[in-house]
Amino acid sequence: MTMATDPTSGTSAEPGRPADGGAGLDPAETLRLIRQQQEAARDATEPDGRLLFGAWGLAWLIGYLAMWTTARETGAPEPWAGWVLAGCIVGATTFTIVHSVTRTAGLRGDSARIGAMYGWTWFLAFTALGVMLGAMGAAGASPQVMAIAANGFACVVVGLMYIAGGLLFEEIRMAAVGGWMLVAAVLAAFAGMPNTYLVMAVAGGGGFLAMAVVEQVFRTRRRSAGSPGRAESGGQRA
Amino acid sequence: MGSVPEDLDPVIHAPARLRVVASLAALGRGDEVSFPKLRKLLDMTAGNLSTHLRKLEDAGYVRVTKTHEGRTPATYLALTDTGRTAFADYQAALMDLLKGAQR
Repeated sequence: MTMATDPTSGTSAEPGRPADGGAGLDPAETLRLIRQQQEAARDATEPDGRLLFGAWGLAWLIGYLAMWTTARETGAPEPWAGWVLAGCIVGATTFTIVHSVTRTAGLRGDSARIGAMYGWTWFLAFTALGVMLGAMGAAGASPQVMAIAANGFACVVVGLMYIAGGLLFEEIRMAAVGGWMLVAAVLAAFAGMPNTYLVMAVAGGGGFLAMAVVEQVFRTRRRSAGSPGRAESGGQRA
Repeated sequence: MGSVPEDLDPVIHAPARLRVVASLAALGRGDEVSFPKLRKLLDMTAGNLSTHLRKLEDAGYVRVTKTHEGRTPATYLALTDTGRTAFADYQAALMDLLKGAQR
């Protein structure tokens, strides 16, 4: 091997030489650089949880608040509120797909395969849900029943998909949101019209937004853990 | 355990290669990244990155897969199991050095 002729690898034997570009002999600084580089690598290859949670939180909050405010006055949501909700969902879906595809471009292997299957499962699940709701309507379900079914089942699908995603991608916080969405499904079902929509906006949308904040907190904490003290990594081995 | 830098793997212990290995280690075990994506992430020139990748490949730390996407040739990079172990050992050695220094 060509170690001796490599200009970047030799001569690092003197301690305290500062101008080594990072991989010199300051172990703390080198560990910090490693963590920084890995953070940058993850930023370039993994979707940003803050953005995805934030987009879905806003979509649910705005869309379902529109449904609730109009349903509160007349007993049933105005058509325009339905369009606002549909627009919010389509917008958040589009953003999720574009963001995820952009971030994971140039990667292949197990994660890419699993991610693609996971994305298609969302599509299949909501297609199946839509068809089933259509069948329920055709079988004579009242608007009341339809509203509970549509909101509750949507929450159940979202909850289970988030739990599945949490397991697949080993993101415990994603699975936690899924669990909360199952709770929201039950709350929405028992809230009764039109408060079902309020539960969807506040518990559902609010749950996503809370997770966006949690993601930010963890990120900040990780960043500052990379600075001099580094209790985190030292503690792991102590 | 001491302040001896011989504890540190010389293949990894070079700023540019350390950045390459750290980035590849951030990927999942079964994942590969394309050459252009890695180059952009590290902000290195193609020639420079190739040189370092060849050294890492020679050491058995990086697996280089050449393939075709349509008609354009594409290169994918991944850390081998040996590379992952070497990187873990390197980090452990750094932490030993750090603990030694703090004592």
